[in-house]
Amino acid sequence: MNNTAFSNNTNSVNIQNINVVADDRSPLLNWLSPLEPKFRHRDIQERRVDNVGEWLLQTKEFKSWHNLSEGEGDKVVLFCYGGPGVGKTFIR
Amino acid sequence: MEARGLAKHLSGNENYSRMRKESESVLICHNISSLVVDRLCDQARGQSTAVTCFYLDFAARKEQSVANILGSLLRQIVGGMEKVPEEIKQAFQEQKMAIGGRAPRLPDIVKMLQTITSSLRTFVCIDAWDECGAPHRVKLLNSLHQILATSPRTRIFIIGRPHVRAEIEKRLPGRVISLSVGPSKNDITEYLRLRLDEDETPDAMDESLEAEILEKIPEKMSEM
Repeated sequence: MNNTAFSNNTNSVNIQNINVVADDRSPLLNWLSPLEPKFRHRDIQERRVDNVGEWLLQTKEFKSWHNLSEGEGDKVVLFCYGGPGVGKTFIR
Repeated sequence: MEARGLAKHLSGNENYSRMRKESESVLICHNISSLVVDRLCDQARGQSTAVTCFYLDFAARKEQSVANILGSLLRQIVGGMEKVPEEIKQAFQEQKMAIGGRAPRLPDIVKMLQTITSSLRTFVCIDAWDECGAPHRVKLLNSLHQILATSPRTRIFIIGRPHVRAEIEKRLPGRVISLSVGPSKNDITEYLRLRLDEDETPDAMDESLEAEILEKIPEKMSEM
């Protein structure tokens, strides 16, 4: 665990790891939840097909969801739906 | 040919089963969610904005309790903060008094999330929503509803299959924009063409089978 944190720190600036080393908050973080989606995220990130899904970020729906400032409209949840497997990942 | 007949016909073909396996693993790689998360992270850099994500997984249903899912979002926010909020530190210390410690309960986690996100702009991205069991989904939606009620700066991105749409819109009334991200028939054809082209054992594939794959699969998939 510590080894991973250190090697990450030498390769890149990873704020989360620095904090863990600095004040040893990992018992507290583990108590909040044992699940760490960042590993799954990294895995998916590595296998990602470039530019697939990029169009979504340019839609007016995504932009208005993202840019909505406080008190401006109520649509704070963006739900994207697609067919089984294919729709979620393989994009026009 | 009937879909079942086609499937039977194709399943005997080694290339087809390999292709199908490959395409499924690519197709379920959740491109969009991870792209959205990364883009939000890029934009959040240098600003006091938290970006959190969660990948729901049918195979991990046991571990992915609602408390663990929301706890994980909280964990990501707290992990990125300069200092752990006092309220959370205190709760952590207190539970140690119980024999063997005590995991935080769902209402506690919701309350902690409410407190933090009411003053910190937070993005929550949840992938594969439909892979969460129905009772969990309802609980999760109700909890998110509670959080949104007290945290006007929180934004939630959810991706999933169409059949969960009505439930999401019902549990988060007036808060949801729904958007279809389904691929066109053309996209599927293009994808299959690419895969067939990469085929390392082209001898097993004849022209009529290739034509059939390119015709039938996109049709069936876009009907799903």
